[in-house]
Amino acid sequence: MKFLRFAVPLLCLASQAHAHVGSPDVFLQGKAGPYQLFVTVRPPLTIPGVAELEVRCESPGVREIRAVPLAIMGAGSKYAPIPDALKVSPTDPQFFTGALWMMTAGSWQARLTVTGSQGDGTLSVPVPSFARASKKMQWGLGVILSAIGLFLVSGLIAIIGAASREAKLDPGQTPSESNLRSGRKATIIGAVLVIAIVVACNYWWGYEENDYNQRIYKPLHMAATLNGTDLSLQLSEPGWMQARTIQQIAFRVFTRKMDDLVLDHGHLMHLYALRQPGLDVVYHLHPEQRENGSFVLPLPSMVAGQYKLYADIVHADGFPETLVTEIYLPARSARPLSADDASASTEPWQKASTTNNAFTLPDGYKMEWLRGDKPLLAGQAMSFTFRLTKPDGTAPGDMALYMGMVGHAAFVKTDGTVFAHIHPNGSISMAALMLAEGMPADMQMDEAVRSTVSFPYGFPTPGQYRIFVQMKHGNTVETGVFDAIAALPNSLDTSVGRRPL
Amino acid sequence: MVLRTPMATIPARPSNFPSSVPQSRAQAAEETAAIPWYIWCATMAVTSATVGGYWDISWHESIGRDTFWTPAHMAIQLCGVLAGIAFGYLILHTTFSKQSPLAAASVHIFGFRAPMGAFIASWGGIAMLTSAPFDNWWHDAYGIDVKIVSPPHILLISGVYAVVIGTLVLLAGHMNRSQSKSHVAEQRLILYINGIMLVQMMILLMEATNLPYLHSIRTYLAIAALPPIVLALSSRLTGFRFAATSVSAFYMLFRLGLILVLPLFPAEPKLGPVYQQVTHFIPPDFPLLFIVPAIALDLLWQRTKTWNSWKIAAVSSFIWITLFTAVEWPFASFLMSSASRNWFFGTNYLYYALPPASFLARHVFYPTGPAAIFFLGLLGAMLIATITFRWGLTRGEWLGKIKR
Repeated sequence: MKFLRFAVPLLCLASQAHAHVGSPDVFLQGKAGPYQLFVTVRPPLTIPGVAELEVRCESPGVREIRAVPLAIMGAGSKYAPIPDALKVSPTDPQFFTGALWMMTAGSWQARLTVTGSQGDGTLSVPVPSFARASKKMQWGLGVILSAIGLFLVSGLIAIIGAASREAKLDPGQTPSESNLRSGRKATIIGAVLVIAIVVACNYWWGYEENDYNQRIYKPLHMAATLNGTDLSLQLSEPGWMQARTIQQIAFRVFTRKMDDLVLDHGHLMHLYALRQPGLDVVYHLHPEQRENGSFVLPLPSMVAGQYKLYADIVHADGFPETLVTEIYLPARSARPLSADDASASTEPWQKASTTNNAFTLPDGYKMEWLRGDKPLLAGQAMSFTFRLTKPDGTAPGDMALYMGMVGHAAFVKTDGTVFAHIHPNGSISMAALMLAEGMPADMQMDEAVRSTVSFPYGFPTPGQYRIFVQMKHGNTVETGVFDAIAALPNSLDTSVGRRPL
Repeated sequence: MVLRTPMATIPARPSNFPSSVPQSRAQAAEETAAIPWYIWCATMAVTSATVGGYWDISWHESIGRDTFWTPAHMAIQLCGVLAGIAFGYLILHTTFSKQSPLAAASVHIFGFRAPMGAFIASWGGIAMLTSAPFDNWWHDAYGIDVKIVSPPHILLISGVYAVVIGTLVLLAGHMNRSQSKSHVAEQRLILYINGIMLVQMMILLMEATNLPYLHSIRTYLAIAALPPIVLALSSRLTGFRFAATSVSAFYMLFRLGLILVLPLFPAEPKLGPVYQQVTHFIPPDFPLLFIVPAIALDLLWQRTKTWNSWKIAAVSSFIWITLFTAVEWPFASFLMSSASRNWFFGTNYLYYALPPASFLARHVFYPTGPAAIFFLGLLGAMLIATITFRWGLTRGEWLGKIKR
C-alpha cells in the first residue's frame, strides 16, 4: 500500500545522464543587445516543474529583465506566454532572479528581454527540458497522511454502518437488535468495499508512478565495439519520448529520433575518451556517422586501458545528449591525431595536486588557470579562466580557433558522476544556441582569437574534479589538465548565484 | 429555522449503545418545519465548489499557471470552510449540547452524534483538506499535473462529492421528518443539489466526454456509469414528475452559462508551450444532450411506478443509451463542423496548450474503430446503465425513508 510505503525519504535519481552527465544546470555568457549577461538556469527535477533563473549583469544600466520560456523551434515557438519580470536583488542591483515554468520535455529556450539605459536587447538561452527523477514522500508527511488516510477509511466504514443501523429510525427511536445486526453487517460489507477501493487506488497510483517514470529521461544507448583498428559506436533507442499510440502521436509534440543529428561546431559527434580510473589519458575525437545511429572512428595511436567514452550529440531541434559507455582499448600504433583531434596524458588524479594552477604541455608551452583567490564552491556559477603561454612566458602569436572557438573544456568528477563539455559561451550546445538565435545550426562562431579563454560553469556537487582545457595555436591543439576540489557551501552567497545543495 | 425545546425523557436503549438525549417525534418534526441554516450553508458550499471547479479548469486552460490563492481555488476551498462551519458546529452542538433539537434525529459515530449527512459532509471536508498537502507532494514527486484525474485530485473531488451527498442526506432527513403537507421548497432544493451533483460528475467524466471522443465508445460507457444514478435518485427522492428533466436542464444551463460568460473575461497564458492563441477565458465543451433521454425517462417513470425496479432500470438503460446515442452522435458531427464555431456552441475556443496535431485542434473525431466493437460497447454501456439506474432508484427510495 502506498500509504504505508511513504517512509523512504530518498530522492530517486533514475538517471544521472543527460545533456552532460550529472550536471543539469545551464550556464551562458552572452550579450543581450549592449548588455553582457551571465545567465544560470537551474532546471527542475520534475517536468512539469519550475526552473530557477539567475542573471548577473556584467554591463551597467540594466533596469529590467523579463524572461519567457519558448520552444526553440516548431509549434511551441510561435506564440509566447506572458513574460515574467525578474526580481532584482535588494543588495546587488546587477543580480536578478526569477522562475521559468517548464511544462513539457523538449528543446526549450529562456528568452530574456533586457531594458536599460543603453536601450533594449534580447538573449536566448537554450534549456533542454526533461524529467530527471521522481521523489519519495518524506517520512513525516507520510506518517501524517497515512494517519489521516486511516481515519478517513475507518470513518467511511463507520458512516456506512451507522447509515444502516440508525438512518431510517424515527427520531427518538432506539435501535433494535435487528437494527444493530444490520449495522454490523453493513459495517463488514462496507469495510470490504472500502478496502477494495483503497487497494484499487493503490494500483492506480502505481500505474501513474510507472507512467511518470517512463517519462524520466533516458539517453540513447551507445554500445562500443572494436573492429580491427576501428571503433564502432552503435546507438539505440531505450524508449524515451516515443509516440506509439494515436493519442501520443497527436499530443506529443516532442519525440526523440536518431536520424536527425546535426553538426555542432563542425561534427556530428564529439567523443571524449577518458582512461579509468585515473583520468590520466584523455582523447577528444570525432567519429563519423556511417548510417543513422551508427558511428565509426578509425582509432589513432592510443595508450592501452579501460576507457569511459562520453559522446556529445545534438538533435535537429537543438536537444543535446551525452551518451556514455566503456570499452577496453589495447595499445596500438595507428594513425596520428587528425586536425580537430586532441589528447593529453598526465599523472592520475589520485596523485595530482588540487592546488596546482599551471600545466606544462609537451611542446614546452604552458597553460595556466587564473583561479583567483575565491574558494571553489559547489553550486556556484563562476568563470573559469585559462591562459596559454609560450615557453618564454609570452602570448603565442599564432593563436587559432579550435573548432570555431577559443577553447573547449571538459569538467569531470573523479568518481565518474559528472561530465560536462563546456564552451566559452557556456554549457549550452552551440547548435542549440544558433537555432535559438535563428542562425543555421552548423554556423561557425566568429570570435577574436585570444590566448586567454573563460568558461562559465559551476560544479554541480562537492568533490574532486579534473578539468581538461583545450586551446589551439598554429596547428597544435594543446590540452591542459587541472585538478580542483569543490567544497560544500556553508552560507548562501548570491553575489554570483548559488543554490543550496 | 432551528427551534429550541425543553429536554425530553430519555427512553431505554441497549446498554452497548451510546448515550444520547433524544426528544419526542413531535418536537423533532416541529423543529424541522423550515429549511435550517446549516442546509443553506451547505448548499452555498457545494455551489461554491462547483463554480470554483469549473473556474479552475478554465483558469488552467486559459492562463495555465496558478497558486493556492487564485479566486477559483478560493471558491473551492470556501466549500470546505462553509462545510466545516456548518457541519462541525452541527456535530459538536448535537453531541455536547443538552439543548440540541437534533439529538433525537442523530446517528452515532466514534462517540459523536449528529444527523448522518453531517458526518458524511465532514468526512468530505477532511478529505478535501487532506488532498491539499497530498497534491502538493504529488507536484514535487511527479511534476505539476496537467490532468484532472490524478489520485490527489480524486481525493479532492471525493471530498466535494461527500459534501454534496451529505447535504442531500441532511435535506432528505429534514424533509422526511417534516410533518408539513407541502415539501416544495425541499424538493426544489433537492433537485438543485442533484443538478449540482450532475454538473460535478461531468468534471470527472470530462476527459472521457471531450468533443473528439463523442463518436467513441468511451463516452457512452462514461455516461452509463454515473449520470443515471443522479437522475434516478432525484426522481425517486422527490417524486417530481420531471425530476430527471429538471436536473439535466440545470446541467445544460450551467454549462451554457459558462460558455456565454467565461469568454467575456480577458485571460492570457502564463505558461508555455502556447500552441493556440488565447485572449479570454476558455469555457468547457458544449453540454451533452442529456435532456432528450431525460424527458423520455421521466415519461417512462411516471408510467412504471408499479414495476419491479430491475425492470425499470433495464428499460431506462435502453432508453438512455439509445436516445442519447441517437441525438448526441449527429449533434457531435455538427459540433465538429465550422457552423458550430461561434459564441453559442463555443467550439472555436481552444485551450492554449492544445497541440496543433491534436484531434480537437483539427476538429476531427478520435478514430471510432470497428462498428461491431462499438455496438458491443453500447451493449456493455446498457448493462452498466442498468446497474447504475437500479442503484439510483434504490438509493432514492432509501433516502426517501431516512429520518436522521
